[in-house]
Amino acid sequence: MARPSRRPPGSPPHWPRHAIMIVVSFLMLIPFYWVVKTSLTGENIYAYPPRIVPVDPHLFNYVDVWYMIPFARYLLNSVIVTAMAIAGSLLFNVAAGYALTKHFPGRRWVVMLLLSCMLIPFQATIIPAYLITSWLGVLDTWLGVALPLLSTIICIFVFKASFEAVPRSLIDAARVDGLSEWRIVTRILLPLSKSAIATNVILTFIWSWNAFLWPLIAIRTPEMQTLPLGLARFLSVMEDTTGALYAFVVLVLIPGLAIFLMAQKEFIRGLTSGATKG
Amino acid sequence: MTWFRRKRTREAALVVCFLLPSLAIFFLYRILPLGWNAWLSVHAWSPLKAAQFIGLEHYEEMLLDDDVFWQALANTLIFIACSPIAIAAALGIALLVNSDLRGAAVYRTIVFLSYPLMTVAVGIIWRWLYDERGGFINYVLRSSGLIDQPVKFLQSFDWALPCVILADFWQVLGFYMIILLTGLQSIPQHLYEAARVDGVPATARFLRITLPLLRPSIFLCIVVGILNSFTSFDLIYVMTNGGPGHATELLITYIYKAGFGQTRFDYAAALTVVQFLLLVVLTVIANRLSGGNAGSLER
Amino acid sequence: MQRRQLLKSTAAFSAASVLGAPAIAQAPKKITFLTWNLVHLEAPLKGWIAGFIKSRPGVEVEWVDKKGPELPAYYQTQLAASTPPDVIDIQGALGLEYAAQGALLDLTPRLGAEAAVKARYEPAYLSNWVFEDKNYMVPYYVSKTLLFWNKTRFKEAGIAQPPASFDDILAAADKIKGAEKTGFLTLNFDWLYWPLMQMNGVDLLTPDLKKATFNTPKAAEVITKLAEATKSGAINPISWTGRWVEPNDAFATGNVGMLHAHAPAFFWIKGKGPWINGDTLGAAQMPGNWATPNSHGLGISKGSKNPDLAWDFVKYLTDVEVATAFAKIASVLTGSKEVDKAQLARFQKDDPLAFQVLSTQLEHTDKMCGNWRLGNDSRVKDGFWPEFQSAMLGRKDAKTALGDAERRVSRELRRA
Repeated sequence: MARPSRRPPGSPPHWPRHAIMIVVSFLMLIPFYWVVKTSLTGENIYAYPPRIVPVDPHLFNYVDVWYMIPFARYLLNSVIVTAMAIAGSLLFNVAAGYALTKHFPGRRWVVMLLLSCMLIPFQATIIPAYLITSWLGVLDTWLGVALPLLSTIICIFVFKASFEAVPRSLIDAARVDGLSEWRIVTRILLPLSKSAIATNVILTFIWSWNAFLWPLIAIRTPEMQTLPLGLARFLSVMEDTTGALYAFVVLVLIPGLAIFLMAQKEFIRGLTSGATKG
Repeated sequence: MTWFRRKRTREAALVVCFLLPSLAIFFLYRILPLGWNAWLSVHAWSPLKAAQFIGLEHYEEMLLDDDVFWQALANTLIFIACSPIAIAAALGIALLVNSDLRGAAVYRTIVFLSYPLMTVAVGIIWRWLYDERGGFINYVLRSSGLIDQPVKFLQSFDWALPCVILADFWQVLGFYMIILLTGLQSIPQHLYEAARVDGVPATARFLRITLPLLRPSIFLCIVVGILNSFTSFDLIYVMTNGGPGHATELLITYIYKAGFGQTRFDYAAALTVVQFLLLVVLTVIANRLSGGNAGSLER
Repeated sequence: MQRRQLLKSTAAFSAASVLGAPAIAQAPKKITFLTWNLVHLEAPLKGWIAGFIKSRPGVEVEWVDKKGPELPAYYQTQLAASTPPDVIDIQGALGLEYAAQGALLDLTPRLGAEAAVKARYEPAYLSNWVFEDKNYMVPYYVSKTLLFWNKTRFKEAGIAQPPASFDDILAAADKIKGAEKTGFLTLNFDWLYWPLMQMNGVDLLTPDLKKATFNTPKAAEVITKLAEATKSGAINPISWTGRWVEPNDAFATGNVGMLHAHAPAFFWIKGKGPWINGDTLGAAQMPGNWATPNSHGLGISKGSKNPDLAWDFVKYLTDVEVATAFAKIASVLTGSKEVDKAQLARFQKDDPLAFQVLSTQLEHTDKMCGNWRLGNDSRVKDGFWPEFQSAMLGRKDAKTALGDAERRVSRELRRA
């Protein structure tokens, strides 16, 4: 989506910016490259000096990973849990965000309450969270793993801000037309909040897909494990021997990156359209 | 009059219903556990013995008798104090890509690419980068002649924490950038035009227009930075597990170890309460520093 | 309103699922077996479990395996939810901690009632898990430390025999060290390095485990010597910074003169070091025959709903047939006398070097050190080890390190 650069006459040239950004991009991408190269190389990965380009590249490490551990099963678990988290969180966060746009007594308190909830670290809530999930009967299930993520405060505020940016006239007109509150949300507000939705999807996806500690505690049977658990498990079996560990890392990252890249177009579009709104 | 009251109750009912699911989740998974921790922190308890009220003994032990606590606290504060550097860098990048620069979208994507990664994977990746045999960093340092022997970064008492912070920096930079970009995009262009017409120089435009209007975004970044010392649990678990010694021990890893390593959940609960209070204080300070009112969050 | 209905039905559903669904491990005749990092033995373990179930209709055994660092977290949450795994495979000191907490079933009455079962086990290893005169676990697989010495490096340095004293170790290490070479390496987790202290007469605590006794001039001398040797490169610094992979890998390269590790290290280094054979590697006891045990035991959770079934399973796992198969596949010693005798005989025939290594595990079992019967072992260690490590790496001098360590250890002992 490259646009011809339209710099106003007399403004500074673009090439220094490009230069800086190229250096920055290079630095940001090196870790990826280093890991991919290690996963492809055929030689002893601990030999010094390490080669910049993989020596004798082959894909056998990837094949090893696929067969050595139930990768497909872990992937499925991660996908289901994340899908649940995204669906649920969209529902709950949109509702809560909309509720917060109304001026009701005690609104300030609710907002403060939500903000302070953000400060409670998950690691300290493990045992109570486990007990509660056990009491609800959803331990070792996809729902149980997704449950804590079904609502997140950052996303609620993102929706709130997005809804508040919608002109009141549209909402009032819809009300006059007799639409129920929920319809107002779905028909009027949501279509105008694409970037908020994208934000919610991406953030919930990231938090759910990458969650390590909670699934560790909440899952008992090996078949229900999600990808991060599988990765940590793999660390114990194949401690540091070959590029296979790094092949696993790459395989684990690909779905996440792919989904992110697909959704981020909408995300970025939302941002740039904000620019033209001025 | 009755019509008005009915509308108010209907609206109240609506608000309650729409808020309920979210509040239920937060109640179950945040508030209740915090309360449990607060209660537990003033008792002596283990999963197999009944609880016994002991008042502030745990807190006394923590503040007067526990070196590891103070080190973990110091490390956590250092970690948090480094986030403004990351935020400033992200701001610089955001400014660079927030313009009619060809390929700006590509740059943005590249910088943000590290954020959606599994922190466990990021830990493994950076552990490999720091490795003294096959790692990139030692390779560059040695082949450029800066050092002779490889440096064991993650096992060095002095380097371990900066190294972990750098890995975290790499992952979170993109997130800060996106927040700041969103903020930058919402600054009305006509303000800049007016300033340019008035002959205001670029630096002054930045300081007088951009920064003040970015306050809510910066505040959000600072809060994220503070909370980052939580999500970095996975990173530290994989890279150093708090070591060497307790050089990379953060409050969050210490809480986990106190609870599950030393099986002292009551003490861990006291640590949690202290950490929570610390975060509240830091957030209030951040709020003040960025101009109060948490920006647009409280309108 | 639709939403209200949805909420009502959700509440009803939750209530129903709490009442209706059986919680994990509450179904009759079901036990859970928790193992420590045995996922590579999945197939045989499942086979043994199938064998157990075959003769017991209506019985289920759920197998859960956790990696070392994750296991305590898992166990604690299960304990807190009152669904502890019935049979657990736990590593030495941690087992004692759980016993001290009250999490484990006292096995003394059962062992007393079944003398034949008790007689299976090697007494020295069985007593590993005696806490306050009660026996809480039985051995599952056992090991203790020994000294591996690289005969080639020794010959090069002109030394004929493995060291017979502490000073011998330091002297040999000093002779062997060189450009890419170091003289001595030790594993350090779980007090494995303690023989270095014990052979100099330094003990951690008084016999009643109430006071710290390690802050002595002798100890300071020992630590100073070790630190200086580390600085000069006679002792490989990985001894104090590595855990398992690093030290063993380093020895496997062939550039280290001596490795102080427990028997399982042998199979690892043999896999990594093609130079290893009977002429190039020797296995000996440390001077004074001191060794730190690093064994795994089987215990039963006190909260188990089927303790008798759990005890049956423990007996099944350690009886001759299953234990022999286990020992064969995992190349371990089990702490069961008959099984280990057969295992050693097998190795004597097939792999004389391995036989040499494994024989050390059953000799001098009265000289085991570094395994104090403490309910708060990990906390005491956390008070001692960082100071010791700092001293070894030259960050603190011996006297300060010992003083700080004494302060911290005493604090833990006070709180116990």
